[in-house]
Amino acid sequence: MSTTHMPWQLGPGAAWRPQLDGAIARAGGLGFIEVIAEAVGAQNLPAGVAAAMQRGLQVVPHGVSLSLGGAERPDRARLAHLASVAERVRAPLVSEHIAFVRADGREAGHLLPVPRTREALAILSENVAIAQDALPVPLALEHVAALVQWPGAEMDEATFVCELIERTGARLLLDLSNLYANAHNHGYDALESLERFPLERIAYVHVGGGRFHDGVYHDTHADPVVPGVLHLVEELFSLADAPGVLLERDDDFPPEAEFAAELRAIGDAVRHGREHRVRA
Amino acid sequence: MSAPDREAYAARQAQLLDALLRGDEPPAGFDAAQAGAAGHSLRRKRARAAAHVWPALALDLGDTFDARFDAFARAVDAPSAGGPLADGLAFAGSLPPDAPRSDDARVELLLARASLRRRGVFVRPLWLRRPRRRLLLVARLPAVGALHGSFPGARRRRG
Repeated sequence: MSTTHMPWQLGPGAAWRPQLDGAIARAGGLGFIEVIAEAVGAQNLPAGVAAAMQRGLQVVPHGVSLSLGGAERPDRARLAHLASVAERVRAPLVSEHIAFVRADGREAGHLLPVPRTREALAILSENVAIAQDALPVPLALEHVAALVQWPGAEMDEATFVCELIERTGARLLLDLSNLYANAHNHGYDALESLERFPLERIAYVHVGGGRFHDGVYHDTHADPVVPGVLHLVEELFSLADAPGVLLERDDDFPPEAEFAAELRAIGDAVRHGREHRVRA
Repeated sequence: MSAPDREAYAARQAQLLDALLRGDEPPAGFDAAQAGAAGHSLRRKRARAAAHVWPALALDLGDTFDARFDAFARAVDAPSAGGPLADGLAFAGSLPPDAPRSDDARVELLLARASLRRRGVFVRPLWLRRPRRRLLLVARLPAVGALHGSFPGARRRRG
């Protein structure tokens, strides 16, 4: 599988957070950062993000509030903000989630899953098309970690994501921690599922930390990356290439050396996976 | 294919969200244990965000913070404006009068009330006992923001 049709290459990346500004500035070899679009003001960029641009890093705005999986059509003002951030950081693409974050005027405060039904696919596809029309760059969609599943699923997650990507022409933001979490918590094989995701449509890959609590895996982004997720990174790159891989950490920020070691471990997994693919 | 029924879809999402936020039984067909874990995770995320900007209050409540905030979050929606600071203010207001409240937490509370004030002038005095007896004044002035100062000021060390 090749990525020659991709107009961009991102490389190793880190999710930019104010608390990680120094660690990211001093991490060698990064190609891009992701910035939460809603955390960027209407006028100015965070100084650390502007500095990263100056150092030649690419910036991908990551939206968390469009609620593309919601019953309402995406809000014009939120879309305009995401488009504005994309233009100001000269983004190669933006990303958002296959999720809903509000219903009936109430905010969930986090990303909630949608039912895996034809009806939900139809609504999502309409919402994604509205978003794509309002955005100046391609949109990548991320599947989420879901502790609760809707009853009456008409297809599994990989099939649902394939259908959505095919209908909308969006790119895939493959989150290997979310894939790991859902497979572990809902009892299916992560690798078998991974092989059926639309890997040729990957824009970039997310890797985040988590922890087990009472047998349930929680995608906390506040703990180290577990070995099972690093293993999936290696498996992915033994199957296909991807333009970028990004580490997400949102809380309980580690010492800089630990953060750098996690970036290195991800880089090692990517390299090992690629070696397997070349030999195969 | 006919147009999808957005209204019915909205109703189902609202039902699920309501059950998760309130910690109630989920709608028919959902796994109760899964929904319980998902709801707990939503409320815990909200609690962590509030604790982050209310460190003195979180310290005062110690191990009881999580359980107290969870009970509050089940009953009261997150505010539409003001973020975790406003959420923590509503939480602080919901605590019983006998809840522990250190001087630091009283100052934190007054500063939050001052900075969340949208208009007009806000001035409140506060008597503090430790580390020394003093009067703290917290104010919010238009175009200036929240300020505070204490009387007498910090004692200068001699020599």
